[in-house]
Amino acid sequence: MRFLATALVLLLGSVFAADTPKKPVTKMPIVPPMAKRPKLWSLQPLVRPAVPTGAAGNSIDAFVQGLYAAKNVTPVAPADQRTLLRRVYMDLIGIPPTPAEQEAFLNDKAPDAYEKLLDRLLASEQYGVRYGRHWLDVLRYADAEERMYAAPGIHYWRDWVVDAINADVPYDQFVRAQLTGYRSTERTTMQNVGRRTPLDRRPDDLFALGFLARGAVSRDGKDLGELQISAVETVSTAFLGMTVGCAKCHDHMFDPIRQKDFYAMKALFDPLVIKKQTLATPAELVVYGKQLGEYDKLRLAAEASVNAVTEPYRAKLYADRVAMLPADVRAVINKPEKARTPAEQKIADDYFPVLRIDSDKIEEVMSGAEKKLYRDLRAKLNQVTGATRRNMVKDLPAFWTVETDHGIEREKSYVLTSGDPERPEKTNPVEPGWPFYTGEKDFREGRVEAFSDWLTGRDNPLFARVAVNRLWQWHFGEGLQKATSDFGLMGGRPASQPLLDWLAAEFVARGYSQKAMHKLMMTSNVYRLSSSGPKELMKKNLVADPSSRFLWSFRLQRLEAEPIWDSILTAAGNLDTSLGGPSFDIESRAPQGRRGPAMPETKMNRRGAYIVRGFSTSREVVPNFLQSFDVDDGRAPCPVRTQTVTAPQGLFLMNSPEIEKASSMFADRLKKETDGEISNAVDLGYRITLSRPPSPKEKDNALTYVGAEPARLKSLAWLLFNLDEFLYVQ
Amino acid sequence: MTTRRHLFHQSLGALLGSAVGSLWAEDGKLDARLPGGKKADAVIFLFMCGGVSHIDTFDPKGNKHAGKLIDAIGFGDNVAEMKRPVIPCLRTFKNYGKSGIPVSDWFPHVGGMIDDIAIVRSLWCQEGNHFPAVIETQTGHRGRAFDNPSFGSWVSYALGSGNKNLPTYVNVGRASSPVQLTGGYLGATFAATPFQAGPVPIPNLKPPASSNAAERDQQMAALARLNQEFRERHELNTDIAARIESYELAARMQLSAPEIVDLSKEPEHVRELYGIGTKPTDDFGRQLLMARRLVENGVRFVQICHAGGGNGSWDAHGDMKSHEPLCRAVDKPIAGLLQDLKQRGMLERALVVFTSEFGRSPWSQNTTGRDHNPKGYSSWFAGGGIKGGTVHGATDEYGYRAIESPHYYSDLHATILRQMGLDHKKMQFRALGRNFHLVEEGHGPIEQIIA
Repeated sequence: MRFLATALVLLLGSVFAADTPKKPVTKMPIVPPMAKRPKLWSLQPLVRPAVPTGAAGNSIDAFVQGLYAAKNVTPVAPADQRTLLRRVYMDLIGIPPTPAEQEAFLNDKAPDAYEKLLDRLLASEQYGVRYGRHWLDVLRYADAEERMYAAPGIHYWRDWVVDAINADVPYDQFVRAQLTGYRSTERTTMQNVGRRTPLDRRPDDLFALGFLARGAVSRDGKDLGELQISAVETVSTAFLGMTVGCAKCHDHMFDPIRQKDFYAMKALFDPLVIKKQTLATPAELVVYGKQLGEYDKLRLAAEASVNAVTEPYRAKLYADRVAMLPADVRAVINKPEKARTPAEQKIADDYFPVLRIDSDKIEEVMSGAEKKLYRDLRAKLNQVTGATRRNMVKDLPAFWTVETDHGIEREKSYVLTSGDPERPEKTNPVEPGWPFYTGEKDFREGRVEAFSDWLTGRDNPLFARVAVNRLWQWHFGEGLQKATSDFGLMGGRPASQPLLDWLAAEFVARGYSQKAMHKLMMTSNVYRLSSSGPKELMKKNLVADPSSRFLWSFRLQRLEAEPIWDSILTAAGNLDTSLGGPSFDIESRAPQGRRGPAMPETKMNRRGAYIVRGFSTSREVVPNFLQSFDVDDGRAPCPVRTQTVTAPQGLFLMNSPEIEKASSMFADRLKKETDGEISNAVDLGYRITLSRPPSPKEKDNALTYVGAEPARLKSLAWLLFNLDEFLYVQ
Repeated sequence: MTTRRHLFHQSLGALLGSAVGSLWAEDGKLDARLPGGKKADAVIFLFMCGGVSHIDTFDPKGNKHAGKLIDAIGFGDNVAEMKRPVIPCLRTFKNYGKSGIPVSDWFPHVGGMIDDIAIVRSLWCQEGNHFPAVIETQTGHRGRAFDNPSFGSWVSYALGSGNKNLPTYVNVGRASSPVQLTGGYLGATFAATPFQAGPVPIPNLKPPASSNAAERDQQMAALARLNQEFRERHELNTDIAARIESYELAARMQLSAPEIVDLSKEPEHVRELYGIGTKPTDDFGRQLLMARRLVENGVRFVQICHAGGGNGSWDAHGDMKSHEPLCRAVDKPIAGLLQDLKQRGMLERALVVFTSEFGRSPWSQNTTGRDHNPKGYSSWFAGGGIKGGTVHGATDEYGYRAIESPHYYSDLHATILRQMGLDHKKMQFRALGRNFHLVEEGHGPIEQIIA
C-alpha cells in the first residue's frame, strides 16, 4: 500500500502531492502492477443501501441530509416557482415555457401540480430531442467524419435514439438494441426439430445498429479497423464508464485493464462488417431497378466503345508483363482461373497489382490520333456515368448497418502493436472476452450477443451506476461521480456513493425506466433548491465545499448550444419543432460532399439538436455557432461538454446575422401581440425569454431605454438575447 | 463586485469614444516577477499537432544504423521490449549560417534564419500517446484533462493584459484537444480566446449593417443595467465573473480587432515574406502574419496549432513523406515571421517557440513512417533574449533517448517564463486549500540557450 501511495504521488503530481515539498522528478514513474492495485469501489457488487430515516422529502433527500451533516454545509432555500418552472422546461425539453404555460402552472393550486407538469413534459416528444441529444454526445453521433461509410442515412440512428428515449425503452433494451439489433436477450427460438433459429428483429431496430456502423471510418483511404476500435472505446466509456481505450497500446496505467483485455473486447466486434441497406418500398425498388437497367445499357455501350480502342493495347501490355514474370508464376497466371489450385490462386491474387494495366499506361503508348479518339470516348463515358446517370436514376435512401461475417468469425484475433491492424502480434493471440468478468462465456449466439447479455445483466456492477449517474449529471449539471465516463481510479470517488448506489438499485428495480428516474430525481427537494442564497451562507458553504459538490444549492448552469439556439428561435416565434430527418447546416457553404445521395434541402429553423456536426480534414463541419458554445465534433464520446466563456460567444450574441434576424422577428411578434403598447411589450419580452416578468426596476430601465418608439423594440429584443440570465438556468 | 461594475463603466467610456481604444494594460494576478526584469513581452507558440520527426528536421543522425534492429520500448513503457528496424532518413542536411547548424531540406527557409535560433535537442516527456502527451506538455501535468490550466493561461494569469482591447491569450487554428485552450482552475477568464484559422479569424466581429455605433453604445449601457440583478445574485460564481469580462472584451474587440486581423493593408512584400497568396503557405502565412499583428498590439501569448484535429497530421506512422507537405506549409511562413519581426526590431521582445507533443522514433512500425517518441526530441526557440545559433543537448546515436543535458518538457515552460521575467517556481495558485503549481518537475530554465 505504501508503494502504491508513492507511485500515486509521482503520477498524480500536484493533485495529491500538493504542498508536499519534493525533489524534481526526472525519471519515469513506476506503474503499479495489476495485483497491487486497489479494489475499485465501482467494481464492487451493487448492494442497495438502506434509506436513512427521519428526513423530509423523498429518499434522495434522506441521503442528501446525511451528506450536509457530514460535509458541514447548509442548504439554501427552495427556488421560487417561476425559476423552478424554467429550470424544469430547460432540463426536460430544452425549450422555455410560453407565457401561457407559465400562468397555467402558477395558477394550478393542486397539490400535484408539479408532478403533473413533469408528466406532461416527459410525455412531450420534445423531451426525446433533448435527452436523445445528451445520449448522442455519449455515443459519439456525427453526421460526417472523413470517409465515414455510414454518413448517408446516419440520421436514422439519431432518430431511433430520440424515438427510443421518447418511448422510454428500458435502458438495458436501449443498449442491447444498439449492440445486437435485439432488445431482448431472447434472440433465437427452438424449432420442433430441435434446432435453434433466429427470431425476427423488430424492423425499426435496424437503425439502432447505426451505433456500430457509425464507427467505420477510413482515413487517408485506409480502413484501419476503426469500426472495432471505436466500438470498444465507445462501449467501454459509455456503458461501463471505464477507459478501456487506454489499454490499446499498453496495460492501463491505473485500472485493472490489461492490453489483452482491449483486444479481447475488440475480438468481440472483429466479425462485424458494415452493410448497405436500401430503404424503399417494393414499388420503389422496381422503379429503381428499371432506371438502373436503362442506364446500364448506355453505360455498357460507352464502355464498349472505349474498350474497343484500348483492348489491343491492354492485351499487348499484359502479355509483356506476363513475359517478365518468373517461369513458375507465369505458368500459374496462364492457367484458367478454374484450373488453379487454391495455392496457385493465392499466387495469382498476389500478382494482381503487378499485372493490372492502368489507363494512363495505355495512353502512354498510343499514337496521337488514337489518343484523341480515346480521350473523346472516355469523356463521353464520363458524361454517361455523371450527368446522364443523375438524370436517369434517382438513388434511393440507404442506411449502413452491421452484420456478422462468419468467415471472419473463424479467424483468430491478435493483439495489435499500437492498435495498427497491419501489425498483429502473431505470438499474441486473444480470445474474445471482456474485463471485469471471469465467469463462463457462451458465444453460441454470437460474441457481441454474449457480451451484451453480461453488460446489461444484474451481475455487472457498472451498468446501472454509470447510467443513473449520467441522468443525475443532466439534471443537476454535475454527476455524483463527476467524471461520468471514468469510474476508475483516476475518476475519483462519488460525492455520495450510498446515494449513487441507491439510485442504481432503484433504476434496476424500476425496470430501467429513464422517465421514472427523471421523476424521482426531479421530485426531490434537492432538485428544487435555489441556485443562490444569502451571501454569508454561500460563502460559508463554499469554504467547506469549494467545488460545490455537495448539493447545498442548485448548480447555476449555462445552457448548451442547442437550447440557446432553440430559445432564440422560440422568442422569434420561428422554431420548427418537427422531429427527425437529415441534419441541417446553419452556415451557407459548399455542399457537404458526403457520400451517397444528396441530402434533401432542409429547413434552417429546426431544433439545435439537428444542426450538423462532424469532422473533416479539409473543411469545418461543425458550424461556428456550435463550436463557440462548446459542441464537440462527435469523433469521440463527449460525456461532459466543456463550458468555456469566450469573447466569440459574446460576439455571436451581439453581432451575428442569426441574432439580427431573430431580433427583428421577436420585435415584430412583441409589437403584434401587444398592439405596440411598449410597457406590455417589455413585460411580454421578459416572460418569453426569461420566463418571468421584469422587476419594477428592470421595467423602468427597459422603458427608459426603449422610450415610446415601437421601432426600438428590435433593440429591446437584442437586449433580452444578450442578458446573462437568458443563457443560464438558475 | 463594485469594482467590476466600475470597470465595465470605464470600458464603456472607451466604447463611447470615437477612436480605436487606447492600449490599456492591466497587471497580472500573480507576483512572480524575477528581479532581472523581462526579455520578452510576448510569445508566439507554434505547436505542430501530432509530433514532428526531429530526426528528419533538426537532429540529423546519419544512416549508419539504418536497417539495424534495435531494442525499442513501446510507448506507454510497460509493454515488453521489442526489436524494431531503424529506418533510413531520406533527408539531406545542410549547414546554415555562421553557426553552421545543420537543418534538413524540409526547412530551407528556417535554416536561413538559424543564427537567430536555439535548438534544444534533448527534450523528453513521459506520455507516449497524443492526448495524454498533449495534456502533459501543455499543462505540465499528467492525468485528468481540464483540471490543470494550459500554459498560455498561466502566462496570461501572471502577466495580465498588454492591451485591454484584445484577449491576452489567443489560440489560432484547431487544437489537438480543447485542453490546449483551457484555463483550468485559474478560471475561464484566463482560457484562450479561439480565433479561426480560415479567412474569417473572428466571426461576427462587425455589428450588423443596420445598427449604428451610438445606438450600440446605449444598448451596452442598458445591458449593464439590466444584467445587474442577476450578476449581484451570482457574484460568487466565477463563470459569471468571466462572462462579464468576456463581454467587455467582445465589445472592445469590435473596435480594434477588425483592423488588426485585416491583413489586406499589409504591403505586398510583407505578405510575400509569409508566403501569403501561394497555395501551400497561404493559410499558415496568414495565421503568422496575424500573430505578428496581435503581438504588436499587446497580446501576450499567441498559440498556433498547426494541422490539429484527431491525432494531428504530423503523426507520420505510415510514411515520413506525409511530413513533406506540412513542412512546406510552415517553413516559409515561419522564416518570414522571424525575418519580419527582426526587420521591425520586434524579435528582441517576442519569443517564437516551435514545438510538438513529442518527436518520432528512429524505427518504423514495418512501414516507412516513424512511431511516437517521447524520450528524446527537439524544439526550438528564437528571439526574446534567446542565444541564436545554438544547439543544446543531444539524443543518442539513433535519435531515440535524450542523453546529453536531458530536459523534461517543463524546462521549456520555465525557459519561456524566465524570458518573460517570471519565476517558474512562483507559478502557483491556491484553491481547494492547496497550492497548485505549473512546474513541478525538471531543472528549470535552460540557461545555456539564454543570451
